[in-house]
Amino acid sequence: MLRTTILAAFFCACGLVVFNALTHGMQVFTDEGARRLAVALDPVVPPDVEVDGPAIARARLGELLGGSGQVTIVDFIYTHCTSACLTMSRSLQLIQLRLDAETDATGGDRVRLLSISFDGARDTPDVLARHAASWSTNPLRWHFVRVIDPAEQELLLRRLGVVVIPDGNGEYEHNAALLVFDADGRLVRIFDVEERQLALDYARHLASERAREEGS
Amino acid sequence: MKARAWFEPGAGLILLVLLALPWARHGMEATMWRQMLIQFPSWLIVGGLLAGAPLERWRPTLRAWNAHGVAGLTAASVVLGILMVPRVLDLALYRPEVEVAKLASLLWAGAALRVSFRPAGVILQSFFLGGILAMMATVGLLYQELPQRLCNAYLLDDQVRLGESLTGFAGLIAVAWMIHAGRVLSREGRERDAPIVAPEARR
Repeated sequence: MLRTTILAAFFCACGLVVFNALTHGMQVFTDEGARRLAVALDPVVPPDVEVDGPAIARARLGELLGGSGQVTIVDFIYTHCTSACLTMSRSLQLIQLRLDAETDATGGDRVRLLSISFDGARDTPDVLARHAASWSTNPLRWHFVRVIDPAEQELLLRRLGVVVIPDGNGEYEHNAALLVFDADGRLVRIFDVEERQLALDYARHLASERAREEGS
Repeated sequence: MKARAWFEPGAGLILLVLLALPWARHGMEATMWRQMLIQFPSWLIVGGLLAGAPLERWRPTLRAWNAHGVAGLTAASVVLGILMVPRVLDLALYRPEVEVAKLASLLWAGAALRVSFRPAGVILQSFFLGGILAMMATVGLLYQELPQRLCNAYLLDDQVRLGESLTGFAGLIAVAWMIHAGRVLSREGRERDAPIVAPEARR
């Protein structure tokens, strides 16, 4: 019985080690959770893919995100979406309303919004422009782009951990989230769509820190 | 006779090769439901078949290290518990080493169950099943109720359906188990009580 006890204890210990590694010490149980934790611990530099959209004729994503020293809240959408993207666009719209009403002191004008379409075939710049108009976006604050080259889009989605799966009815399921990029164009934090306020506060915090750094 | 003894592990080996083929793996991993309710059980069964090999020379060692099947049931609980973490389902799709580890541990758990379940007896069996089935039902309820997807690679409908099935199967196994245990216990009870109940045995 002693040997059995030792062996059983050994199995339990192995299990604990594996479980601990799998859940990062009981912090995450899903791959999405692990992705968010990994980003928070170690910011991700996105591949510098070529994008275009309304008023943006062929630009590099790196320039859009890090070029102007502003913090960017990004979401991934497709304009034919009838569910998750609507919630996300509504979130960004509310964030835009808040930011537009603010002054420089809070870092409000240093935060921008960017919606990236992963349905480049259907979401041409014209379609994106109509979509943007329907959400009454402030074109100085909120930009819409698609990735021009499908292979580059694949790379971008993979690097940022965005998983898009067709549901067979011309729609997609995707892990909807608000991605906050710092002024250097690195993905630093991922928030749930419902955590709009947190995402906004965090972006503002990054922006005001940046402003202080530049000021001093 | 020898050939007959090797029938089970032989069949297990053939099934193992079939299940390991890319189309079988990808087909079974195409949905969350198939991964947990077809792939998991089939690899467990293959593990069990392989453990049917007549390696008589190893029986005493096995008995010493696995008295009453305790070590084996522990191993199986640990494996099944870990495989219920939703992250595993996603990871197995894009990290080949995780997929190999997942499938190997299912074989291992199946083999462990095969050599340990019967020696454990009704009480230890119910302890083991109580843990596993409660976990299965809880995970199933979570999958049904959570509004967000737990696996990035699978659809929400799939998750809900898997949740319903997990809860349902946990219930069915529990009922079947109770009927079985009731029979075993009442048979044991009859055997024990028989001489006491009989009047002439008292005198």
